[in-house]
Amino acid sequence: MTERVVVVEDDVWLAEHYLRVLRRAGYETYHAGHALGAIDIIDDVRPHAVLLDVLLTGTTALALLHELRSHADLAGIPIVLATNLADQIDIEDVASYGVKRILDKATMHPDDIVAAVRGVVQS
Amino acid sequence: MSLSGSPNEGGGVVSRVSTIGVAAHELKSPLVLLRQLALELRSESLTDAERDRLAWQMTHISEKALRLTSDLTKAESQPALFALEPVNPLDVARDVRTELQGIYAAHGRKLDVRRVRNLPPVIANRDLLRRILLNFADNALHYGDVEGAVQLQAQLIRERSIIRLSVRDFGPHMPVKSWRKLVDTLSEGQPVHARPQSSGLGLYISNEFARAMNGSIGAIRHADGASFYVELPVSRQLSLL
Repeated sequence: MTERVVVVEDDVWLAEHYLRVLRRAGYETYHAGHALGAIDIIDDVRPHAVLLDVLLTGTTALALLHELRSHADLAGIPIVLATNLADQIDIEDVASYGVKRILDKATMHPDDIVAAVRGVVQS
Repeated sequence: MSLSGSPNEGGGVVSRVSTIGVAAHELKSPLVLLRQLALELRSESLTDAERDRLAWQMTHISEKALRLTSDLTKAESQPALFALEPVNPLDVARDVRTELQGIYAAHGRKLDVRRVRNLPPVIANRDLLRRILLNFADNALHYGDVEGAVQLQAQLIRERSIIRLSVRDFGPHMPVKSWRKLVDTLSEGQPVHARPQSSGLGLYISNEFARAMNGSIGAIRHADGASFYVELPVSRQLSLL
């Protein structure tokens, strides 16, 4: 079975990059440009992982995380944050929201994206 | 909402430091994307078409970052350097549409100019007005709805003898809390978080440019998006002809 990943990123070209990298690694990918759309897609797709930007247009990533935690059937989906704010977010502070990894957009390598998703899907 | 006022009065050093900080933040996003795409270019599994697209995207991202640095340089210049003259605002709007139509098409988006008849000229500096509209339209491209068109609109407000040039986008609305912060902070003339990913430097620069033309900028929050606008005085000289 192909594992599914939902990418939530409002920069269209960065999202395109993530999707290409993840597809090349064998994942089935879906994209949402904002949090509201993401909730619908996650509900439909039931992904094995979500790659989530923090600074989103409209509803914030935190609101999305809250929403996911409020649904018992979605609460267990592991989250990977990919953000420019990595140095300001402590993984322990967001672990209760299902966040398993934090990637720093400024320093990450495309392989890191795959490694992070693979790590949370397998754990 | 009007953003006119007296930005930066009595706060020169603090404002300059703050501007440098947000400039660094604002440049981070295109640099992050540029780096990711450059790393991706090294992938051996890319097709020629994918490689071409990456190179093309990198060119556009670089141009955006360069435009920002160019605007920053302009914003630091003395207002007296900017000659004001009667300018047809719709001509400038069309120039902006032409300049951005390539990047809009690349995103599968459309930038329209709404036609208005008998619009008088404004007193402006053509280059500064162009840069303001480029800032607004670029912001709308990256933060509006992926499917939605963006409109450049012009409106004559007779009772105030001004023309309002707006860039209207359609997408998820900004939360009220974020919007209030935008309104409050911009009225103080400081860079603000205009959109989540943005430090608001583009708006800060636009505000400086508008002031240099005796105008102001502002924003309107809609249920399905936002309008960012610049207001400029009507050229009375030509409108009397």
